[in-house]
Formats: sequence, C-alpha cells, structure tokens
Amino acid sequence: MNLPPESSTVFVVDDDVSFLKSVSRFLRAAGYSVQAFESAEAFLTRLDPGMSGCVLVDLRMPGLNGLELQESLAKSANPLPVVFLSAQGDIPTTVQAMQRGAEDFLTKLSPKEKLLDAVRRALARGARERKERGRREELRGRFGALTPRELEVLEHVVQGKLNKQIAGELGINERTVKLHRTNLTRRLQVRSVAELTRLVEEAGLFKRGQPE
Amino acid sequence: MIFNESKDVPGNIVLEQAVRAEMQEAVTNRIEFLAEYLDASHFSDKEHFRLFQDYLGRKYAGQKLDLILAFPSRDYRLVGELPNALFPDVPVVFVAINEMEVPEAMSKFGVTGIVQRFDLRGTLGLIMRLQPDTRRIVVIGGASDVDRATLGRIEEASHALEGVEFDFWTNRPVAELRGAVKSLPDGTVVLISTVITDVNGQTFYMAHLAQMLAPSASVPVYVLGGWMIGSGAVGGSVVDSEDLGARAAQLALRVLGGAKPEDVPIEVATRGKPTVDWRALQRWGIKESRLPADGVIRYRPETLWEQHKDLILISLAVFLGQATTIGGLLAQRKHRRRAEAEVLNQRTELAHVTRVSMMGQMASALAHELNQPLGAILRNAEAAEIFLQKEEPDLEEIRAILADIRKDDQRAGSVIDRMRSLLKKHDLESKSLDLGGLLAETVALARPDAHARRVNLSLQMPGRLPAVHGDRVHLQQVLLNLILNGMDAMAGNAEAGRLLTVRAETARDGCVEVAVTDCGTGIPPDKMKRLFEPFFTTKPDGMGMGLAISQTIIEAHGGKIRAENNAARGAVFKFTLPANNN
Repeated sequence: MNLPPESSTVFVVDDDVSFLKSVSRFLRAAGYSVQAFESAEAFLTRLDPGMSGCVLVDLRMPGLNGLELQESLAKSANPLPVVFLSAQGDIPTTVQAMQRGAEDFLTKLSPKEKLLDAVRRALARGARERKERGRREELRGRFGALTPRELEVLEHVVQGKLNKQIAGELGINERTVKLHRTNLTRRLQVRSVAELTRLVEEAGLFKRGQPE
Repeated sequence: MIFNESKDVPGNIVLEQAVRAEMQEAVTNRIEFLAEYLDASHFSDKEHFRLFQDYLGRKYAGQKLDLILAFPSRDYRLVGELPNALFPDVPVVFVAINEMEVPEAMSKFGVTGIVQRFDLRGTLGLIMRLQPDTRRIVVIGGASDVDRATLGRIEEASHALEGVEFDFWTNRPVAELRGAVKSLPDGTVVLISTVITDVNGQTFYMAHLAQMLAPSASVPVYVLGGWMIGSGAVGGSVVDSEDLGARAAQLALRVLGGAKPEDVPIEVATRGKPTVDWRALQRWGIKESRLPADGVIRYRPETLWEQHKDLILISLAVFLGQATTIGGLLAQRKHRRRAEAEVLNQRTELAHVTRVSMMGQMASALAHELNQPLGAILRNAEAAEIFLQKEEPDLEEIRAILADIRKDDQRAGSVIDRMRSLLKKHDLESKSLDLGGLLAETVALARPDAHARRVNLSLQMPGRLPAVHGDRVHLQQVLLNLILNGMDAMAGNAEAGRLLTVRAETARDGCVEVAVTDCGTGIPPDKMKRLFEPFFTTKPDGMGMGLAISQTIIEAHGGKIRAENNAARGAVFKFTLPANNN
C-alpha cells in the first residue's frame, strides 16, 4: 500500500454520524490522517489555507449539502479536491458534481478499492494542485515587482512581437522598450524569451477568464 | 208459492228456503212471499182440492200477485189448471222433483219450470264405486203411481249393472221392512226409492223412511234425495235441493224481469251430486278415497283445522309474515355482510395499492435511508479486516467496531420493518395503539423523503397522548399520505418556506386530533368540496385515491377528516380519532 504524503489529511464530512465514524475509522486503519465533520458548515469554518489533503463529503445533508460545499470550497483560497460519497446517487447530481471538478462520485456501498483509489487520486491531485498553487504564488510575487509599463511590455513580448512593433503600439520610443525588456529579464532572472514565456504561462498571467 | 205437500216435507223445506234466499238476494226491495200448502199426501180427495182452490180464490181476490211459484210434486194441476182459473194474468214458474213426464197440457197454459229427476244411474254407479263387492241391491219402493214410476226408472237403470241382483220390495208394509233390513247378508245394499204410500196405504215421506230403516239396517242404505242424508243412510247421487232452489229462483227472476214463461222451455235436469254421510262411511268401513272427485262428504267431524280455520289461517299468516320478514332481514343482513366484506376486501386491497404507491414515491428516500447503515457496516467491516491483519490487533477497537456494526444492522432492520409493515397486505385489525409512538414512527419513515426534498418536517405533540383504538398500518398510511401530500404542495416553495408540521393534541370531546399543516399552495376553493372523492386529484400524476382511502380509514375508526386553508398560506388536514378510555 502506497502511503500518502505525511502532511495530507482526509476531511470527511457527513451528517450521518454512524457512517462518519465508520468511514473515518476505515481510512485511519488504511493509514490516512482523517478529520471528521458532522456538517459542511463545521468544516468550512475550520478550513484554512494551510490545510492539505482532500474532502470526502456526503451529498445529502441538512444545511449546506455536498454540492454546495463543493461550490464554497472552489471559491475559497484552499480548493481541496472533493470526493462525493452518497448513500444513493442519481445521474443528474453526479454529472453536476463531476462537471464542477469532483475527483469522484461514489456511493457509500462502493467497494473499498474504489474508495481508497479515489482518496489516493484526490490526495495526489490535492498535493499537485497545492504545489502548483505555491509555484504560481511565488511567480506572481516576482511579477508583482514589475512596473505597470514593464508588464505592458512583457505582455507584448510573450506574444512574440518585435521591439519596433511594441514601441508603435504603446506609442513610445523603441529604445525605451529595449530598456524595459532588459529590466524585466533581470528582475525575473530569465535569460531568454522562451524561458520568459514559460514563466508567464506558469504564473497564469494574461489569461482571460482565469479566476484569481 | 203453492205447495202440493204439507209444510213439513223435509225436501221441500230446503227447496223453499233456497228459492226465497236466492231471490231475495238478487233484488234490493223486499219480496213478499205468500205460501199455501195443499197437503195432498194426507188429503188426496177431489173435494179437498176444490176447497183449496176456492179458499185461494177467495183469499187472494183483489190481491196483486206478480208470480206464482208452484211446487207441484206429482200434481201438475197446481201448475196449470188452478193458477189459470184463479190468477189467469199471473205468470207461473214451477219446480218439481219426480220421475213423471211433464203433461202435454202444460204447454197450453204457458208456464215454465224445472223438473228434477232422481239420478238413478248415478246413484247405482256410486253404490258400485263405494262398494264394488255389492252383489244384491234391495230397492224399497212405494205403491203409488208416482212410486211405481220411480221404480220403473230404477229397473231401467239396473240393466247397466252386470252381476248385481235387484230385489224390489214394494209389497211390504213399512213396519215389516224395519225388521227385514236388520238381517240382510253381506254383499247386499238397500236403496230407498220414493214411497208415498205403502201397500197398506199409509203415507210416508222418504226422509222418514230412511230414518226408520237406515240406523238399524244390517247393510248400507242408499237414498236419492239430499235431504235424506243424515238419517243414517250412506248417501247417493242425490238431488241437491239447495242448488235446485237456486236454479228455480233464477228462472223466477227471469220471468219477473219480463221474460214470457211460454218462451222459456221447461228444463228437465237429471244430474245428481254424489253425496255421502261421513259417519256411515265409517260405520261400513268405506274408504273416502273411493268417492269420485266431485263427491261431497257431509257430517265429517271438523278437524282442528276446520274448527279453528280462521284462527289458524290468521296465525299462519302472522307467522308467515314474521317468518318472511325475519327471512328477509336475515337475507338482507347476509347480503349486506357479504357486500360489506366485499367492500372491506376491496378497501384493504385498494389501501394496500395506495400504500405501495406511496412507498414507491418514497423509494429513493428509503433506499438512501437504508444505505446509510449498510455503508457504515461495510466500512466498519473493512476497517476490522485491516486491524486483524496487524501483528497485534487492537481487540478493543475491533470490539467497538462490532458493536457499531450491530447498531447499524438494527438501524437497517428497523427501516426495513417500517417499510415492510406498510408494504404488506394487511387485514384491518383493531388494537389499542400508542398514538404518540405511531406518529413518531411515521414521521421517521417520511423523514428521509422530507430530507431529500429539503422539507423541514417537525412533529409536535404533548408528552402524553391518550391511546386510540385502531389499525396501526392504516392509520400510518393516512398520516403518511397527508405528509407526502403536504410535501408535494410545497415543491414550488423556496427552501426556507418548506415547513411541514404534524401536530397532535387532545381535543375537548374525548378525541385526539392530528393536524398536518403545510405552507404550500393551499387548496383552490372550488376543489375543496371534492377533495375526498375517489379519483379526484389535483396532481398531474396523482391517482386520486389517497384522500378517499384516508377518509374511509378514519371514518372506519369512528373519526372525521377535514381540510381547510390556513390564514397565511398552505393548507391543513385534520383528522380526529376517538380516544380509548378503557
């Protein structure tokens, strides 16, 4: 059995205390770190950006239900991966949950292999996404040091435009453009335009519709 | 009325009375009957007849007579000459019993009447029928010309009987006959013919002769006239004087009504009526069954039936009436019971179908409810397996797991039980029920569905509710039906507005009232009246049976169910159940 990363936790949210207890017990026995919550609200108040892992959530709950928890989580600073665990699922709800990015949609009677597999994938994805999020934040920090003019120039550079073109579009001197380019490559510690483009991509910069 | 005989002739007395009665009955005004008796048997000389005629002539001079009714016996002067001489303009009707030819002269007097013959052939036939072993018939007759005429007719008739010897005793005085009939051998019968005068010239009436001879005779005695039965004689195919009198009366009425006597032919009747004396039959051991179908038995002691016929008939009628009524009521009750049983059967059947359909509506919620404990059991079992794989299994943990498994198993079982009791076909049974428990259980059953529909389902009841008497499953069905209806009604509400309350309280009149209140669309006023009608539904996919069955169930429990709209929004369905005071 592949042991999960030391710091990852499975957050189980279910109003059915009996099931909550049993699934938590099972996952602990399987070697996971588990935290149990009896409602979506209780979990969300405890959620903080430092938590890593995945959320195993019941679909039907009084108050916020599973789908609503998924929605709140996605909007939060720590969008942990979600695995749904329902006593009985129906197709529309499953589709909705999966479209919103659920890692899996299981019934409570699913075989343990499927459950463990889903948890494993969710945790891995959580770790990966967390790492990506960390890198992105680091890059954004770097990009944040640029002046607005430098950012403008950068946007044109990564689009593959020549200095002359950029100078024309921005209505500034070509020499000034060259100066901005030198400055931003130095600040971003890149040596080539290719590397610069990769970094912009990684940071998720200049993407329309990208949620911040 | 002019009679040939005296007043006391038994045959004539019956005849006279029959004529009077029949005539008087036919008309409304009183008929005045005046009777004169020639008494020819005792005074047969011509002088007497002349005196009689003179007497009548003087007596009735100036009297207005409408009709002469003559009873001439054998003397037709009373029909013809006498009335013609005294009352030429008065029509004459006569009635006579004899064997003589009607004199030719009668036609010129313009009279009509009835001549009744003795039924000699019939009487001989009756003798042979009642006593087939008869070998000898002694015929006792008189010496007068009339008597001889009768004897002649008997002799004629006797030729029809083969193997029977006829012995005519006509030359023996009556006094001697009395002794002679006492020692007649078996196989012999006596037939009394007409005896007006015996050989000694003594005058008799047939009836008196029969009275003298029949009681002491060693063999059965037969007679020719109905008026002679009762004397000790067996009977005969006799002249029925009453019938004859009635016929004569009808004839007289016709003539009084305007029919001319000369236009109405004289009727000659020969038929007699087989009539016997029951006592004589007993005496000679003759079976009643030998009598022909039209035979008449006289002097039979009245049976209880005959004595109290009216009482018996009335009692019987009352009894029959009662029996019929009772029978009718029983049949009605049986019919009603059968119909009730049928209705009950259909009702239970229908109640079951609606229950199943209700459970179908809740199936998904119930499956959910069931999967919770099953899922928990599965995960617990899997956890236990993992623990057991360890080198030093944590037995404490495993024990806790097993306890949890047991708990969840019971939980799943109770879900199944709740469903199963409602899904089962179920005959109505009446038991004392803990209503509070019933309400709680039903609400628990509906809760998963409420949960799924995001309905806030609450139960409010006092700590103590009186017990009710009834059928658990059916009452649960009613409540479940109301809860599901209420949830349906709130489907369009925003989530916060989906409140369904089940409230129970003790009402003032010794009843318990259960109210199911929703915040839904309410009941359109025009639908309110028909709400409990079968097949009436406001839901597009509704069957329309739920409330109809609920009403049937509640009413079968002696309660009432009603619906009303709330002041704010939604509707409330209330039903009452009589509290069990025992």
